[in-house]
Amino acid sequence: MAALGARRLLRTGRRWFSETVPGAPSPPASPLYPPVVASATAKSKAAKSQRLQRFNQRVHAAATVEEKLRLYGKLQRPKYTVYPQTFALNADRWYRSFTKTVLVPGMPPRAAAAKPPVAVAGTTPEAGRAPEPGAEAPRAPQAPGAAEAAKTSEPAAGAAPYLDMGELRSLACDALLQESFYQNKKRPFLYRDQDHTPGPFLTQLVSTLAAFLSGRNPLLAASSLDLNPEVNYYWHHGEEVVVHGHRKGRVDPVRFQINDNPHLQIRVPKQLPEVVPLESDLGDVPVIDHKPSKLPLFKKQYENKVFIGSKVADPCCYGHTQFHLLPDKLKRERFIRQRLEDQIEVVYRSNGIASLFAWTAAQAMYQGFWSEADVTRPFVSQAVVTDGKYFAFFCYQLNTLALTTETIKNNPRKNICWGTDSKPLYDVVEDGNVKGFNDEVLLQLVRFLLNRPKEL
Amino acid sequence: YPLFQRGGPQLRIFRPNFFMLAVRPGVPQPEDTVQFRVSMEMTKLDIRNYLERIYNVPVAAVRTRIQYGANNKRNHRNQRVKKPDYKVAYVQLGQGQTFQFPNLFPEKEQDSETRSFDDFRDKYMEKEKQKEEGDPRRGGVPDWFGL
Repeated sequence: MAALGARRLLRTGRRWFSETVPGAPSPPASPLYPPVVASATAKSKAAKSQRLQRFNQRVHAAATVEEKLRLYGKLQRPKYTVYPQTFALNADRWYRSFTKTVLVPGMPPRAAAAKPPVAVAGTTPEAGRAPEPGAEAPRAPQAPGAAEAAKTSEPAAGAAPYLDMGELRSLACDALLQESFYQNKKRPFLYRDQDHTPGPFLTQLVSTLAAFLSGRNPLLAASSLDLNPEVNYYWHHGEEVVVHGHRKGRVDPVRFQINDNPHLQIRVPKQLPEVVPLESDLGDVPVIDHKPSKLPLFKKQYENKVFIGSKVADPCCYGHTQFHLLPDKLKRERFIRQRLEDQIEVVYRSNGIASLFAWTAAQAMYQGFWSEADVTRPFVSQAVVTDGKYFAFFCYQLNTLALTTETIKNNPRKNICWGTDSKPLYDVVEDGNVKGFNDEVLLQLVRFLLNRPKEL
Repeated sequence: YPLFQRGGPQLRIFRPNFFMLAVRPGVPQPEDTVQFRVSMEMTKLDIRNYLERIYNVPVAAVRTRIQYGANNKRNHRNQRVKKPDYKVAYVQLGQGQTFQFPNLFPEKEQDSETRSFDDFRDKYMEKEKQKEEGDPRRGGVPDWFGL
């Protein structure tokens, strides 16, 4: 009886399950089980890639830029410290391979085309002190406290269409003479020559020129001039096998860190325009098979810092121009005495490439880009490397941040650096006169400072 | 070296008793770098002057390090045997010169006589080995095993 009842129940149950009611909705589209992914804790390559992907998702999902930077540089491991001002031979070739940069000699054609008209005798412009961000209107008549120039202030007659070369030359010569001739300084201490004269001269020159030109370049009027700022950047490039220690045998990315202290830096709230399109290819990146320690480059473990000179919340978050002063160890005379004349230019180039790469890449990270989220617009900055007398000009366009082994595989973009050779600004200073003043160098400097986006 | 004081004479060494040994680098070095084993008392300046004055080799940069010889091996009396320390110098050549450590033991080309002799010798050794093995039908079982 019970069996008969059970069989009937079974039969009815089976029929109920096998019945297909026409017009009924299909089973729900969402899967019943979670997706099958590799474990995150196993000792396998799939687990390692799973951990990396989870880390990348965490950084992508970070709410603020500060959180992204904190996660990006959280894990500390030994890394190569890259010094922009280095005595290493042929350092600029190595630095180009680390940063995937193409070096193009000469200045970009845009800079030559946008040459402002220059007149010898023009209207007398105002001469102000260091530029405050929008504090003093450049057109208002003001009494400058220029102690060294002893100029009489005159109300400006409106923005002059022509640049007065004589005025600019006199500004530069006044700064130079004040530091080297008029001011009574004692003999410089051993190996402190650069802090004695060329350092203050550079500061004075840049601040007076920037204040002078802020009338015709409103970007300079809203800029921020940093004295001896700090610029740091941390990145991965390439892979190596760990040699010693408890992590021996594992494949690790090669980590680099730049900690740079330019002499002066101008930061602006708006970005400079791009020089060439993002995907342009202007040359080849040198490929060096040897380990970076053969340069020589040394490893150390410390904080992974990314910094442009100000914190993330600062409105002036884009870079305009950096000014670098070469130290006493890298003077021209020392290289000539050691019979390494060809390394003089290498010093300028390596300084320009490394410092500008660090600055532009840090600016890009401040906007939220990183190696997994590549830049969508190029970041452009300029730099002037000098040792007091000789000036070399550099312009850098950052097209890609993706330098890790996975992201560099399908990345055809390269960063581009335009650079000139070092040219003297003057020949010699004698008895209150500056002999052999070179106007081209000053003009190039002025062009750099007048660089601005097209809307302004 | 005697200490230098201001106004004193420049130290000059004629016919130095130093020796520099060019070695093959253990890890690959850049093309312009030559690796030397030098005496422990030589300095970077000494190495530079040695190469430039005696051998007319343009030197751009010299870096040195001292390799510590291990003290772990033991002799038959269980005393520790030290391997000697030595100084290694990495010299970067100037004027764009490069250096590749030569292959000191290249493979020599064998003529037909030696090749045929080698073949004959190999065949003879094979025959001898086969004789030793024994009957292949026994499948490697030794001769003394049996009824």
